[in-house]
Amino acid sequence: MKILFQARGATLQALFLVVLSIAIMVVDHRFQHLEIVRSNLSLVISPLRYLVSLPAIGGNWLGDWFTTHTELLEENETLKAEGRILNARLQKLEILAEENTRLRNLLGSSRKISDDVIVAELLSVDQNPYRQLIEINKGSSDGVEIGHAVIDDSGVMGQVIHVNAQSATTILISDPEHAIPVQFVRSGTRSVAFGRGSTRQLELRYLPATADIMIDDELVTSGLGGRFPPNYPVARVTSISEDRIRGFVSVIAEPKAKLDSSREVLVIKPRQ
Amino acid sequence: MSQLKYLVIYASLVVALILMILPLPDWAQIYRPNWVALVLIYWSMALPKRVGLWFAFFCGIMLDTSLGTLLGQHAMGLVIVIFFNMNFHQRIRVLGLAQQAIYVFALLLINQGVVAWVEGIMGRSTPLLAFFSAPLVGMLIWPWVFVILRDIRRKTLLR
Repeated sequence: MKILFQARGATLQALFLVVLSIAIMVVDHRFQHLEIVRSNLSLVISPLRYLVSLPAIGGNWLGDWFTTHTELLEENETLKAEGRILNARLQKLEILAEENTRLRNLLGSSRKISDDVIVAELLSVDQNPYRQLIEINKGSSDGVEIGHAVIDDSGVMGQVIHVNAQSATTILISDPEHAIPVQFVRSGTRSVAFGRGSTRQLELRYLPATADIMIDDELVTSGLGGRFPPNYPVARVTSISEDRIRGFVSVIAEPKAKLDSSREVLVIKPRQ
Repeated sequence: MSQLKYLVIYASLVVALILMILPLPDWAQIYRPNWVALVLIYWSMALPKRVGLWFAFFCGIMLDTSLGTLLGQHAMGLVIVIFFNMNFHQRIRVLGLAQQAIYVFALLLINQGVVAWVEGIMGRSTPLLAFFSAPLVGMLIWPWVFVILRDIRRKTLLR
């Protein structure tokens, strides 16, 4: 009899836990209430994440250590040359920026030219094969908030979706659940670029067949929706396929940012 | 002292969790066995009084946190797997390693089914190869997991 009750107790317990799991999943999927729980649990996990990233860090360190003298000299030369060119461009840019502020003042607009940025490093890549998420090493204690845009040196990477004290989860623009408002530089056509789960492809759906689009067109953020600041490079058009029956074109574009290889990223704080 | 011995269980699960988040090349992702499930199945077989449903539930929540999946997704799978195991472990314990491995394959498939089902509800389908490859690798690895954890258990005198 006792064994029977024990067995029944276990069944009830299992049922209870399954129902509890489902409830948690629904809450986690639909609402934001579990954000705090998740970030606290992540804090417990973070030493493990660090441990896992040690081999990569160690590898980089060893690589730096064994760089040869000549390589360093060469690198130094190229960097100096690059520095000179950049300096020259910067002078021009400063003049332009000044002119721009002056003109904006004339127009009575209060928009700042540059955005506040936080420099962060890649901590780890989430191993879930269905998602395109990365962890970065700056969190709420550094001023990172949910919704901040993340870029690398060549383009937009994604936006922050979870924030912990010392780290933050970023969804890449290539995640199948992510969409980013964009604009064609050449024609000014606005659209939305969806992720497809591959770091080399974004998709722009349902553009009218009459839209002015060509291969190699550049896409930048349009700034609509308020999440991403305008005019950051996003992608370059690689293929255009026409759906003649329905009169739409579907465009595939390649992200500018090195989504799968960047280690240093910038988190952009939106303008107040 | 007697409580301290059970640290071995937690240590083995932490190692399993590390193996779950260890970066692998993309093509190898789908062959990663569910280490946490394997280790949990062993401990619930060896020490069913110690490692029960709540334990499985919390392991699942930690796994969900580290994988970035929905909270509760792996928890549900592991609770169901451990529940089955609680009912069958006495019959399975006496079997040889090969038969055990087949049983473990069935358990891992159940777990995979639950996880894939939740993914499916959210509109992300699991490819057929990915569905079967991870449990298959888990099955092939089970004898080693079993022998290693058994030796650890005997050395630390867990009963």
